[in-house]
Amino acid sequence: MSGFQPQKTERDGFLPIRTNGFDRGFISVVILILVHLLWMRFLEGVLPLGVATVLCLALAVFIIRKG
Amino acid sequence: MRQSNIGWLFLAPATLILFVVGFVPFIYILYVGFFDWNTNAVDPTLRWAGLQNYRSLVFDTTFLNSLARTLVFAFFVVVSELLLGYVLARALMADRLWGRQFFRTMHTLPIVVAPIAVGATWRLLCVPGFGIVPYYLKLWFGIDYNISTNAYHAFATAIIMDLWHWMPFVTLSLMAGLTALPKEPLEQAQIDGGNKLQIFWYVIVPMLKPVLLTTVFIRLMDALRSVDEIWMLTKGGPAEATRFIGLHIWINVFPKTDYGYGAAMSLLTLYVTIVLSWLLFVAMTGRKGGAQ
Repeated sequence: MSGFQPQKTERDGFLPIRTNGFDRGFISVVILILVHLLWMRFLEGVLPLGVATVLCLALAVFIIRKG
Repeated sequence: MRQSNIGWLFLAPATLILFVVGFVPFIYILYVGFFDWNTNAVDPTLRWAGLQNYRSLVFDTTFLNSLARTLVFAFFVVVSELLLGYVLARALMADRLWGRQFFRTMHTLPIVVAPIAVGATWRLLCVPGFGIVPYYLKLWFGIDYNISTNAYHAFATAIIMDLWHWMPFVTLSLMAGLTALPKEPLEQAQIDGGNKLQIFWYVIVPMLKPVLLTTVFIRLMDALRSVDEIWMLTKGGPAEATRFIGLHIWINVFPKTDYGYGAAMSLLTLYVTIVLSWLLFVAMTGRKGGAQ
């Protein structure tokens, strides 16, 4: 029984589901892609895409730490 | 530690194959998606385009309509197959059904037919002026059924064809799941006075969840990438009524040889598929957290 055992690192954060590290990273990437696509469609004429990237990276850090 | 190494050794061939056939093409598509690459263009070489393909994509109404159409198709197909598949699974499990084994074999046959043959068969059945479906619909109900001119008829036929082809798979999965269910909780629920609906909703569905989840995932992913059947049935028409996303990508990548744009479309479709599957997984497994 000394084989590889997956570690259970799920926790409760501000997200509505219990998440582990992979979940929080995945959610951050999904949001990053979605926000960039919507930004290109609706906001890029007003604000450059770099703003979306900075906002999404900040959000990703927040989700990974507190989510 | 030694056991762990042996485990990884056994996993190595499958991991290597998955890496070569899954991960490497994904990275390649990701790379191509950032380039303008059309072998039929004046300059057929790869030219750096950055996010331009994705920028074009979010303004491409043909692509967005195709994506929306595919989601509607997938929704109808998955829900119908799940409901009808469950009813059929229960019917084929009933002891009283005469000729049960014969029906089980017959209803499973469509699974083994190649999608291209399914599309060709349904085309022959439905082709206006020749197929038996329009003939009898006109004779019995007075319906002018025409998949070549009527968008609703074509869309409905695509759904029915997919049902005919893949519902047996859902039925078989659910039959396997239902057969493996332990009898005790069902008997206990009956003794406690639960009616059939309550037993179904509070006992059978929670115990069937792993099977339901797997079946829904497989069918959802299949429905989102329907190409060959639809190509044979309608070629995406009339107009673009049945041009689902897989077909739309195929048209852009092969006849038009627009590889960069096709790669971007493929990646966005993969993104939608993964997000939908993940949302479904979270919803069906009920991973509620403290913030809920």
